Amino acid sequence: MKPAHLLLLLVAVLVSLTVGVVLGPVSLAPGELWDALKLGNATAGPIVRELRIPRALLAFVVGGGLAMTGTALQALVRNPLADPYLLGLSGGAGLGAVVAIAFGLGGSWSLPLLSFAGAIAALLLVYRLSLVQGRRLDPRVLILAGVIVSAFTGALMSAIMALSDAVALRNAFLWLLGGFSAASWPALGLFIAYALLPLALILGSARALDLLALGDESARHLGLDVGRTRLIIYFATGLLTAASVAVCGIIGFVGLVVPHAARRLLGPLHRPLLPAVFLGGGAFLVLADALARTVARPLELPVGVVTALVGVPLFALLLRRTLT
Amino acid sequence: MGILISSIHRTSSLLTRLAFVGALLLAAACGRSAPPSGGAVVVDDVGDSVRLDHPARRIVSLAPASTELLFAIGAGTAVVGRTRWCDYPAAALDVPSVGDGIQPNVEAVAARHPDLVVLYHSAQNSGARQQFARLGIATVELALDRLEDFERSAHLLGTLTGHGADADTMLAAFQARLAAATQPTRPDAPTVLILVWDQPPMTIGHGSFLSEIVERAGARNLFGDLAASAGVISVEAVVNRRPDLVLVTSDSEPAFARRPEWQTVAAVRQRRFVRVSSSAFNRPSPRMPEAIRELTGRLRAAVR
Repeated sequence: MKPAHLLLLLVAVLVSLTVGVVLGPVSLAPGELWDALKLGNATAGPIVRELRIPRALLAFVVGGGLAMTGTALQALVRNPLADPYLLGLSGGAGLGAVVAIAFGLGGSWSLPLLSFAGAIAALLLVYRLSLVQGRRLDPRVLILAGVIVSAFTGALMSAIMALSDAVALRNAFLWLLGGFSAASWPALGLFIAYALLPLALILGSARALDLLALGDESARHLGLDVGRTRLIIYFATGLLTAASVAVCGIIGFVGLVVPHAARRLLGPLHRPLLPAVFLGGGAFLVLADALARTVARPLELPVGVVTALVGVPLFALLLRRTLT
Repeated sequence: MGILISSIHRTSSLLTRLAFVGALLLAAACGRSAPPSGGAVVVDDVGDSVRLDHPARRIVSLAPASTELLFAIGAGTAVVGRTRWCDYPAAALDVPSVGDGIQPNVEAVAARHPDLVVLYHSAQNSGARQQFARLGIATVELALDRLEDFERSAHLLGTLTGHGADADTMLAAFQARLAAATQPTRPDAPTVLILVWDQPPMTIGHGSFLSEIVERAGARNLFGDLAASAGVISVEAVVNRRPDLVLVTSDSEPAFARRPEWQTVAAVRQRRFVRVSSSAFNRPSPRMPEAIRELTGRLRAAVR
């Protein structure tokens, strides 16, 4: 990555985090904000320290993780349409959430925990399905397995919703639509502690991802253990996506478009690309969340709506500029 | 108390008689357009006219509120089908269920051989309504969501079932009890966050049924400035508005009370919850005055 690019990204990150802390449904004067940061002010203090800062940081880490996951999966299945939810994880997570609500499982963490469990179950199921005829994690089989697991979990969800007496079930969709309303310091700490290993594994596979893009044969001739690389990427991205679904539902678009945008700016090599999409995806999601919280205040928009509404025009612009 | 009740009875029977005379006059005035004796023509909540040649004797009611209302106006014996959500009064549970009320199972409803189907007003029910029309089954669509819909719906169902006088009696008693239960608006009324869901946090604004019950019980809806019937709000907006109490629709202490981000809300931190779970709190019904009284008591206990 060129120093200019890195500087640009770091500035974007700083600006987004500042915006994420300054903007909110409650308008705070600069003096109040400053007091809040210095552990003062009865109202603004908790709003800034307990709500805005952990929320902005969580959006940043999740956005970075989703963008990195999308980049790695696009290389793994050699398909530009791949995104973090390609492999059926969103379906598994949704099923987990619906089960938690339909069977009235109490506890403040049961909804995220069960969607996490559902996503992990889908991850394992897709893996098992992709083991047909010794073609371990063949991209084409992976995509198909993801599609059928999504269809199956979708049908199970609909069946539970049709048969259950829980009135609250329609709210499961609201939760899945994505948002950071449940952000807190413990949630942030838990997510970071968990995400470090998968993030490191993906970052460490940068060179291997470049080779995979050349095709299995060429990659093998260049000395890459293709099967092992696929296994690492598959589970690292899957574990990361499962955790992000558990903390904030399904947020589309970040993992699909940030990688493409970054490739257009930086080229296809993964060593500069992966850290760049992490910073860019993080900054993008923090800004999107700040908009989601403020445009209709005191109502909140699902953050996925904002990522698409803002991201699509930006991407279209970029597409035009780089193609002409 | 005894005096109060008997006086309500007296006024209500007087009102009934007045209403009956009024109905006779109205019927006479309508002249030729009036249907054969015992029949009825009404305009329902979507503007369709519903014509019955005789009072409905076999009714499938596809909304909990309309089922409860039919029983309240003495037409309960004519109800031959209900939804699985119709849980009040207890006698309604003896009526066979036909499943869901929105996008109903048309075949299951038709199998009850109804001469009238009461549909809940929803765009998702338009297909079912057309199918009932093709089967020659009369339907009436009711938008019975709020207190202001209650009287109109009661008159409508009363006319269609031949229980118009009973509906008037019920309404007269209801209005008196409602007026007695309603608390005056005080400037120092406690503010209540009506939290209908917590992941993500959702509330309901001015004009929704529960909001009205809360206001009549002597409190103020924290998000009474929102027109939306339901919306996702941010915890931050709640912190800033400092609710005195949090109203939740569950039996037990809500699980979100222990989540870290909610500790920024003093009412949650201090566990100042008001819990309502009875179905009287989620649909307009003759039980509204009792629901308001119950809530008034709980609000007082929670503020203390």
